[in-house]
Amino acid sequence: MSLLRLRAALLGPARLQGAGIPWSVLRNYSSASAKEKARRNATCERTELLEVLKARVKQLQASNVPEVTVNKVELAPLVNDKYQDPLREVVAPGPKEEQPAPKGRDESLARPSSWVEKLKKEMHVRQLKVERKLSIAASQLALEEQAKVKPKGKVKAKAKAKKSLKSPKSLKSPKSLKSPKSPKAKVAAAWSQSHAGPHGVYAHGKPRVAAVKEGAKVQRPEKVDKDSSQDKILQQTIQSNLECFLFLQQPEEAERFLLLYHSSPAKRRLLNVNAYNIVMRNWARKGQLQRINRLFSMLESVGLWPSLDSYAAALECMGRNQSSAKAIRRCVQQLKNDGFHVDELFQKCLFEEDEKEKVLRAIRIVQPNYQLPPPPNPQTCKSSLLWDFYSKKKMVSYPKLDFSVQELQECFQQQLEMELDNTITIESVESTKPLTPQAIKARELLATLRSQWHDSILQALQKSKQSMSKLKMVSGYNILYPYLCLLPDEEYVGIMLQILNTLSPQGESLAVLARELGSKVYNRYITQRKLRSRQLEKVQEVYEDYIHLLAKDSQPNKYLPREYWEKLVAEAGFGPSLNLKDCSWPYMLLMRLGMHMLELMVQSVKVPRNILNPRLEPRLIPILYHIYSFRSSWQVGLIKPHPIFSQIMSDAAETLLTFNSSAIPMLCPPVPWTSPHFGAFVLNDTKLMRFVDGAIQHQLLLEQCPPVNLHPVLDALNQLGNCAWKINQPVLDIIISIFNDKGNEKLDIPPPISEAPRPSAAPSNSSTWNKSQKHELLLCKKKTAEMHSLRMDALYKLSIANYLRDKVFWFPHNMDFRGRTYPCPPYFNHLGNDVTRAILLFAEGRPLGPKGLDWLKIHLINLTGLKKKNALEERLEYANEIMEEILDSADHPLTGRKWWMNTDEPWQALACCMEIAKASRSPDPAAYISHFPVHQDGSCNGLQHYAALGRDLIGAISVNLMPCNVPQDVYSAVAQQVEEFRKKDAEQGVKIAQVLQGFISRKVVKQTVMTVVYGVTRYGGRLQMEKRLKEIDEFPEEYLWEASHYLVKQVFNGIKEMFSATRDIQNWLTESAKLIAQSGRTVEWVTPLGLPIVQPYYRSRPTVLNCGMQNLSVKSSNSNQKPDTVKQKNAFPPNFIHSLDSTHMMLTALHCFRQGLTFVSVHDCYWTHALTVDIMNQICRQQFVALHSEKILQDLSKFMLEKYCSPGRETRALWQKKLMEQLSNVPKTGEFNLKKVMDSTYFFS
Amino acid sequence: GPGILTRTLLNAGVRVVALESNSAFLPNLQSLENSLDGQLKVIYGDFFRLDPLVSGTVKPPAMCSDKLFETMGVAAVPWRADVPVKIFGILPQRKERNTLWRLLFALYECSSIYRYGRVELNIFISEKEYKVLTAKPGETRAYQALTVLWQIGCEIQLLHMEPWSSFVTNLKNGGLAVPKSTWLPNDHLCLVRLTPQQNLFIGGLKPTNSATFIFMVKQCLAKPRSRLTDRLNSWSLDNTGKLLRELEIPKNAESRHLYPEDYRRLFEALQNSNVFSETWFHDEVLESIRNINL
Repeated sequence: MSLLRLRAALLGPARLQGAGIPWSVLRNYSSASAKEKARRNATCERTELLEVLKARVKQLQASNVPEVTVNKVELAPLVNDKYQDPLREVVAPGPKEEQPAPKGRDESLARPSSWVEKLKKEMHVRQLKVERKLSIAASQLALEEQAKVKPKGKVKAKAKAKKSLKSPKSLKSPKSLKSPKSPKAKVAAAWSQSHAGPHGVYAHGKPRVAAVKEGAKVQRPEKVDKDSSQDKILQQTIQSNLECFLFLQQPEEAERFLLLYHSSPAKRRLLNVNAYNIVMRNWARKGQLQRINRLFSMLESVGLWPSLDSYAAALECMGRNQSSAKAIRRCVQQLKNDGFHVDELFQKCLFEEDEKEKVLRAIRIVQPNYQLPPPPNPQTCKSSLLWDFYSKKKMVSYPKLDFSVQELQECFQQQLEMELDNTITIESVESTKPLTPQAIKARELLATLRSQWHDSILQALQKSKQSMSKLKMVSGYNILYPYLCLLPDEEYVGIMLQILNTLSPQGESLAVLARELGSKVYNRYITQRKLRSRQLEKVQEVYEDYIHLLAKDSQPNKYLPREYWEKLVAEAGFGPSLNLKDCSWPYMLLMRLGMHMLELMVQSVKVPRNILNPRLEPRLIPILYHIYSFRSSWQVGLIKPHPIFSQIMSDAAETLLTFNSSAIPMLCPPVPWTSPHFGAFVLNDTKLMRFVDGAIQHQLLLEQCPPVNLHPVLDALNQLGNCAWKINQPVLDIIISIFNDKGNEKLDIPPPISEAPRPSAAPSNSSTWNKSQKHELLLCKKKTAEMHSLRMDALYKLSIANYLRDKVFWFPHNMDFRGRTYPCPPYFNHLGNDVTRAILLFAEGRPLGPKGLDWLKIHLINLTGLKKKNALEERLEYANEIMEEILDSADHPLTGRKWWMNTDEPWQALACCMEIAKASRSPDPAAYISHFPVHQDGSCNGLQHYAALGRDLIGAISVNLMPCNVPQDVYSAVAQQVEEFRKKDAEQGVKIAQVLQGFISRKVVKQTVMTVVYGVTRYGGRLQMEKRLKEIDEFPEEYLWEASHYLVKQVFNGIKEMFSATRDIQNWLTESAKLIAQSGRTVEWVTPLGLPIVQPYYRSRPTVLNCGMQNLSVKSSNSNQKPDTVKQKNAFPPNFIHSLDSTHMMLTALHCFRQGLTFVSVHDCYWTHALTVDIMNQICRQQFVALHSEKILQDLSKFMLEKYCSPGRETRALWQKKLMEQLSNVPKTGEFNLKKVMDSTYFFS
Repeated sequence: GPGILTRTLLNAGVRVVALESNSAFLPNLQSLENSLDGQLKVIYGDFFRLDPLVSGTVKPPAMCSDKLFETMGVAAVPWRADVPVKIFGILPQRKERNTLWRLLFALYECSSIYRYGRVELNIFISEKEYKVLTAKPGETRAYQALTVLWQIGCEIQLLHMEPWSSFVTNLKNGGLAVPKSTWLPNDHLCLVRLTPQQNLFIGGLKPTNSATFIFMVKQCLAKPRSRLTDRLNSWSLDNTGKLLRELEIPKNAESRHLYPEDYRRLFEALQNSNVFSETWFHDEVLESIRNINL
């Protein structure tokens, strides 16, 4: 009996009462698993101790009832319950599962009997200790409301931690953190209350288990396994591999692959329940219940617990093959026993295809009246900054676009078609040039070659796949093989040919090409999955309703885009299934796949050598060659096209450009962001937060963050993305005409390569060149390469603009890790240079109103860079004075006096001239409908935020937080201050101060002052100063070092004088970050809008990818690495300020929307219609005041104290004390009255 | 520095031209010069900043080699003639490897100091670099492109080894300002004599095409474990099998297994088969010169 009891204890709580799992399972696997566990833990003794502890914990759980000294006899009835379980009587095991229960006992008898002896002895020894631990843990549970992890693993982990053993199980995968565990205990408890009897006893114990787990988690030191980062990548690889098989509908393969890991004790630790679930879903789709049962037992044999998804798969399968009510009931019962609820299936599982219907069918077999759970009530953000914004009372209807439902529907169709094709091919702006006979010939040649290349790549691909599949039969597994089967062969070939077309003559690094190839395959795969899983269908359905919110001919709705979308999703009953199951590929895998494709290309793409020179002997040579380039201490592998290929390409001068569909602005309003996984493009995968390759911290953080906290950020992004744009055609035409002529470097239109410099006289034989000739040639080559990339960049931008010339389009937005927002399409967007900004107009037009024309004029003068120090009225006056020049520029841009060309931003100035001309000539300028965006810039925005944070009076004045008649210039102010210091020093006879007389100017100090915000050090500042002083010819060279050293010191002093609190804040931030990083953690904070931020700087070691052609060293950063202290420290102040400026921008965006304004931003430059500039300015100031009225630094301090010094942590080391002191010691602030900002004209101007 | 090397040389009774890059040490040296009656000549200049690659005026202590040799009164001699001048020095640890590469390029191009003939270098280098220079094929980590090129270019003799511990340090922690070495031993400073080979430029190798040779060797040894055939194939050269057969290099030979002399033969064979005349190879060689020179 005692043996049986021990077994029961080991099997875990669910087994004790859950009748659903057949005993056969135990017979097959459990004894083996025990052995393997023993092996895994290296020494038997440890295992035994572990088991003892587990048994003890078990006992204590069961004995929530007062008796603490539980002995064998008392536990026995629990086991007996199993046979008396009323449920078991009702739910008889299905025929295939039926196995005589006693067999399980037989197996357990095989265990060494010494165990029992040990158990007896050890029990008493350990008892006290465990109990103490338990009570501590339980008390901690009350404090911590964190997600729970599997009891078995955790108890074990704890036991191990105690013995300071490394536990592979301690790996907390993101999944297990994310999965809905916390309701489990509650549900279980609730459920148990409704059932009387022995279950109750046990179920009460369950929260205790949680307590133990919590305790284990809390008490375990933050030590991380050395190999766990590697493990994480492997885990991700396994899962994405299994996903591939699911996609390919190859359950046998999937299971074979799973077994490779499952059957090896060493590899098994890499599997988590999700891996098993994927295989289950695969079988469920085929209706193979038997297989699923087998997987359940496999799960159990390795000590994993089925998750909600496991049950979903089982039920789906039962629904699919119409299983008996008994079986289903048993399954549902087991689900409940594991602490889940049926409703959760429909609230949390991400169903694909018809999975949901099948699960529902199964449920309705046992509960015919089962109704889907109601969608959760939408939550509202509680941030005090947005209380106004979200309060329903003030809700206004969303501004309508100038489109009907029908029109928007058509726009959506166009966008969808484009994305379904993955790529789009458009005419380049060069296509207007006449075609030379040479080009015609080259194009013909290229066409023949392409078809040959196509065939040879296809052949090579098929051959390699064949050899892979053969290899697979013989031994192990080829990791890449499934990834080469996801798409039709033709698609892979297409991707490779596309890469070939875009390869620049200078070549490209292997790593870049590999990533591009890999991610192209990935993107297409995602598209296919979205189609297959019916996700697209659902999105389409919701979108059709969604556009009613935006269309002019529909009823006004009092919803935000996100809210409306969520409402529609809920109404359609889609639940969370609009999201795709996480299926990202590890970065390593992407690279490997890309490298393989690259190798295929290098091997198979060939050209006859004599194709351009018939005198040569005919033989095939590869057109891509692999070569190393050496940069000081490292080497970079490059793939270069053969000059023959480059020659043909340039001769052919093809005018078709192919882009990824995500590179083109959207042709319909973007799908609103509703979660970190969902939004922006219809099909293209877009990340809410941009990050470097391989970094996962941001995504994890966003996932863990309560969704409601993200609402403001999501709404702001939606607002920015919903701005419709159109092309300024006259300006575009002028730019294209110059571009197609000879370009113009002064106007920033890159000239064509034909204009590149050529070496004066290059002798044919290179060996006779002297040094200067070589040098000249190299310079020419360098210049050509630069020109090529500039020219291509401009070609892309202009061609996309030209393609969109008659369309209305949208830029979906996402953000970087600090919350700064960016449009997603990379080439052509409003963040671009002067040229691109000049060709963009708001699609929506608004009348200029009474002051609009004046604003246009002021905007023009701002663009010229003139009159910076003058008041707005003076700028306006000046514009009126030079009206003649303005009109001349507008009317004869290329033939007139060309006033516009000599301005800071010539193209935007020209566009503005044209707008002013049109408006002023219209009969009623106030009624003139303008589409022109007018900008308002923050003046030294970083310092503005600092000055406001520190309430620095002098500082606030110098960065225009204080109302003044004329704009203040912080750089001149600092220069003045420095000059004062210098005078004093000079009088006191300081030599260098005397030398510097007359050399201190705004220009000398400007760069350093500007970069102070971004944490420039004394060292860097001195270099900047030296550079400036060198530019002054009269400055004596021998004093350079001393003078720059002196100057940087004085500039810092000057800033300290003016922004006294600013420097304190900066130092405080830096010092805090340093201590945090030194304690081994990364700096994290939350913006006032609730966006969680983590600094992704780690001391990462590159992993070397062994590929055939070349070893690639790939940097992978992940949370298990040590933080890079220097970067964490130096980057914190600027990142923190950026997170504030992005918050200010988002607040302004949201409130502008409430007032019905069109608003977009380029970081600290805000755009709106001329009519609404005044309102925007007001909102901008209001929000700045509101933002800085929050206790930003105090909140930061509080947050960090909680995060990094919470009293629950057991270590009370010296560093922690120091950190606590540092964090609590928030810098004091000055006297500046923030409200003054409201009246400051030049705050943003 | 304190001039131990200079004094030792003077004591040996040879005529010495001393290059001093730090103006702080100049006055002392100059007074020594005056007291020695022509046995010592002191020049303000830095041997390791000879012939800077940036165009424009050369500011001391950087200087041009022709100026230096003019001042020293040493005239150029033919390559096959005897050593015209011996140079003694200590390689600055911080840019040791760079200096070795630059000297190598000068050697193969017969430019800079090597324009005056087979100048003999007697230099102190760290033990790890010495190990590299004298490595044998197959020695992991040590056998590098630098190995092959120096062994083809010069006769390498070890004259003396001095443990690092004999040197005083100016670091606060008492440690030495010596870069750490993980893979190769680095406990000594080695005095090495590098005498350019008399027969360096017989056969196919010439100062004019030597850049191609250097390029070829670097490319091969960028991945020492790769097969030579793969490397040759990746440059779009065909019929590598036949070529290797003729050179009696096994088909599966890895880059690190080839002797320096094998590389020389490989180069000559490729030179004859006109492979290098292909434009792309030529361009790459040029590119590589730019990269090494910067």
